[in-house]
Amino acid sequence: MHIPDGFIAPQMYLPLYGAAAGLWAVGARRIARDLDETTLPWLAALTAAAFALSFIALPLPGGTSAHVTGVGLLAACFGIWQAFMALSLVFAIQALLFGDGGVTTLPLNALAMGFAGALAARGVFLSTRRVGQTPALFLAGWIGLFLPAVLIALALGAQPLIAANEAGTPRYFPFGWSVTLPALLIPHALLGLGEGALTVLGGRAIERLRERYRND
Amino acid sequence: MPSAALERAKFLVWLAAIVAASWLSDAAWLAAGLGLVLLAAGRAVFRLTRRALLATLAFTGTVSLTYAAWFWWQQDALPLDWLVTVNLRVLLMALLTFLFIERTNLFLALGFSRRLSFLLVLAVSQSLALRRTLDEFRQGLDSRALVRVGLRDRYRAAARAAGWLFDRALANAHESARAMQSRGMFR
Repeated sequence: MHIPDGFIAPQMYLPLYGAAAGLWAVGARRIARDLDETTLPWLAALTAAAFALSFIALPLPGGTSAHVTGVGLLAACFGIWQAFMALSLVFAIQALLFGDGGVTTLPLNALAMGFAGALAARGVFLSTRRVGQTPALFLAGWIGLFLPAVLIALALGAQPLIAANEAGTPRYFPFGWSVTLPALLIPHALLGLGEGALTVLGGRAIERLRERYRND
Repeated sequence: MPSAALERAKFLVWLAAIVAASWLSDAAWLAAGLGLVLLAAGRAVFRLTRRALLATLAFTGTVSLTYAAWFWWQQDALPLDWLVTVNLRVLLMALLTFLFIERTNLFLALGFSRRLSFLLVLAVSQSLALRRTLDEFRQGLDSRALVRVGLRDRYRAAARAAGWLFDRALANAHESARAMQSRGMFR
């Protein structure tokens, strides 16, 4: 999420923008077919919640912490397109208003975390829900963190292949897959356990809220 | 008072500059671009440079140091060309973005779509309020614990915060919807 501009080659981010734009159009049509006084505030509120979710610390043993992505939680509780659109808006707000993360890395983050992560998390949640709500939420949280890490590691590791000078020196991100895959996947496989645990607790809290709103 | 057309033009210029900077791999051109942006920043130059460095330093510093060490180990030399080019490009693009944030009203720039502007205003205003409250929750937990809070309690606190977040978001959505309905926003 915090990869600054300048590390992703235009040969990659421009086609990614094309792909993301197509999905944003589909997502906008899917959830904003009736973008009116009810759906617009709902999308804004979900975006704000997704934005603020990244400020909740994911507690790790030893008193340290990492940041929650909330991909699994959003996808499991609200659906793929809602999660994708809300997370894409969060990345845009972070890049355009706070200068956090880059505008050239925005489509990579939106596609890897917002779309692929949400798709995998929702799929895992729906297919394992029969086993139980707790393992389904846990797995959704884990895959929602881990799969985007795989995709981002692949995208970063591809940079030396797609943009190097005549001598073979990379022009953008310098390390190949032999470095990016273990560097990102090993910590994220472990961080996913924490994200999974928080998805279980957060999912239960949202379920209780829904019950309350239904009963009100 | 900035006009929407001017803000939109600034937005398009910034986008074009970002794409152009991302193609550059020549240190001289990147340095010239950086010089121009520093000049354009005027009095805000030190503040904006500091912000740009702080925003990029963790990632860029880690990658640069690791690559320099790896290169030295492999070839007994430093990858000076890569270090200069990539660090100049990252700083140039970050400064361009911070200058854009400083000088442009994004809400006006995106004013071509009324609904996109509404969405942005609602999302940003709620995001900032929620972030502030979450920070207060964190401080509240720290200030009420005499000893270091255990892992289990920190998870419970984080989950409660996430639950509160969605409760607040649902309530905000409901309130905004009623406010929009009462003002006839979509009629």
